[in-house]
Amino acid sequence: MSNDPFYIDHPVRVRAIQQEMAKDGIDVYIGSRLRTLSFVSDVFCPWRSYVVIPPEGLPTVYTFVIDAARVADETWLDEEHVLGFAPMGGQDQITLVAEKAAESLKGGKGRVGVEAGMSNYLPEGNLTYYEYEAFRAALPDAELVNALDIVDRVSMIKDQGTINRFREASRLVDIGQQAVMDALRAGYKGMTETEIGGLAAYAMRKAGSEWEWSFTGGNEIASGYRTGLAGGACTPASRRALQPGEPLMVDLHAMYRLCLGDHTHNYLLGPATDRQRWHAQNFVDLVALCLKTYKAGVSPSSLADEMMIFCEERGFAEYMVPGFEHGIGMLGDEWRIGRNDGPFPYWTNPDHVYQPNEMVICAIQYACPEEKIGFRYENPILILPDGCEAMSKFPLAIEEI
Amino acid sequence: MAPLQYLSPDWAFEAQKRLREQLTPEIMKYVTSSMVTVYSHCPDGKDRALFYKIVDGVFQEVSVSVGDIPNAEFIITGDYDTFAKISRAELGSRSALMSGKLKLKGNMVKALSLASIVDRLNKVLSEITCEY
Repeated sequence: MSNDPFYIDHPVRVRAIQQEMAKDGIDVYIGSRLRTLSFVSDVFCPWRSYVVIPPEGLPTVYTFVIDAARVADETWLDEEHVLGFAPMGGQDQITLVAEKAAESLKGGKGRVGVEAGMSNYLPEGNLTYYEYEAFRAALPDAELVNALDIVDRVSMIKDQGTINRFREASRLVDIGQQAVMDALRAGYKGMTETEIGGLAAYAMRKAGSEWEWSFTGGNEIASGYRTGLAGGACTPASRRALQPGEPLMVDLHAMYRLCLGDHTHNYLLGPATDRQRWHAQNFVDLVALCLKTYKAGVSPSSLADEMMIFCEERGFAEYMVPGFEHGIGMLGDEWRIGRNDGPFPYWTNPDHVYQPNEMVICAIQYACPEEKIGFRYENPILILPDGCEAMSKFPLAIEEI
Repeated sequence: MAPLQYLSPDWAFEAQKRLREQLTPEIMKYVTSSMVTVYSHCPDGKDRALFYKIVDGVFQEVSVSVGDIPNAEFIITGDYDTFAKISRAELGSRSALMSGKLKLKGNMVKALSLASIVDRLNKVLSEITCEY
């Protein structure tokens, strides 16, 4: 047993996948999604990669040859189980992956699990049409089956090492948030959104964050009217300069050993009006209620219903995006909650019932475009039997600077 | 020196002699590895395998076999004509691989680190006067 609080028992993880493969009659699994690569290999795979998981024994990761040595250096797998592919005879990705998969197929026959589907998240990593057809041609007697649910169900409940990594990533985000607050208080005149994003990144990296992992532009900073874009929950920082009398949204992302920090803090750059303060108070009260409501047994739809009743009572329901979560897991698992078992394929099942030790981003978006004001809240939370643990400890408030 | 028949036992003997003389352990980076090049469609219709065993940078074995393919860390497969062109320095081994004329089996990352050594090896072999 390791004394490292961030230790993850990957062989146990792999065996759990293999047990699920056996239950589903899958002879070999070809993972291609970023989340699967992270979950199985525990290493950042930014280039197209695959992991071939046999029914027993160690998986083999295939990645673009220019990065294979680094991946081998950083993963828990030995170098015999991390191979590079390149556009050379016998070394292209289809040949290598298909040959490895074929080792688990008797006479070339059997069921090969692949990862197909769709996602709102661009770097999801599902097989492309070309890859699917190429693997089918390379394994002509095998049946290719979409099996991504196996990894989704095995990765849903978080182990202690993963949870601790998430705590650490949130600690790093809080350092970034403090750096931004200090900078704003010291005087924001002339500062731009990109500068805010950069100074937060510097503070977080100095403290050990690996990168601002989000594909939405790293740290998302919005000021003024950009905070209030209708339904807008994606704000890559622009070159816009901060202005007095405007709101500011600071959505920071840190990563610690593939686990993700994601916390948004909001400001009113003074002088603030009473109307702005009204919006701010609505938002803070809603977030507090939402965090109090999250626990095992609730579902996205039951939570949304409850929150929207509150918003209606307080008279700001029209400013709300009626969803209060997005998925989170190791790098690449950044979109859907739980499994692909909802009424709309590959979207979150609104009736997914949260279980203890699931993680989710409590995500709330408030936007009033006509008044050019909006706020965002994001915080990774750990679902507990009777509540939730908010991983970012940065105090909930909308500061007036 | 009279031309040797390419891939004959005499050619293999000469190849090993020259490789040992010209590629010192230092030049070979003290590498330990093994490699087989499989020649399909030789002029007599047979397939041949050229086996290299290198220990601590020393060529311990260079041998040609017919039929059975010895096991090795790297296996390169291609047509006799392709290898013959490489041996005559008419075609680079890298471009033969990149164009798919040759197929490599083995760890690509390790292969990359050995690529320059293989280039040196091919250069030595290309200087043997032989008949194809």
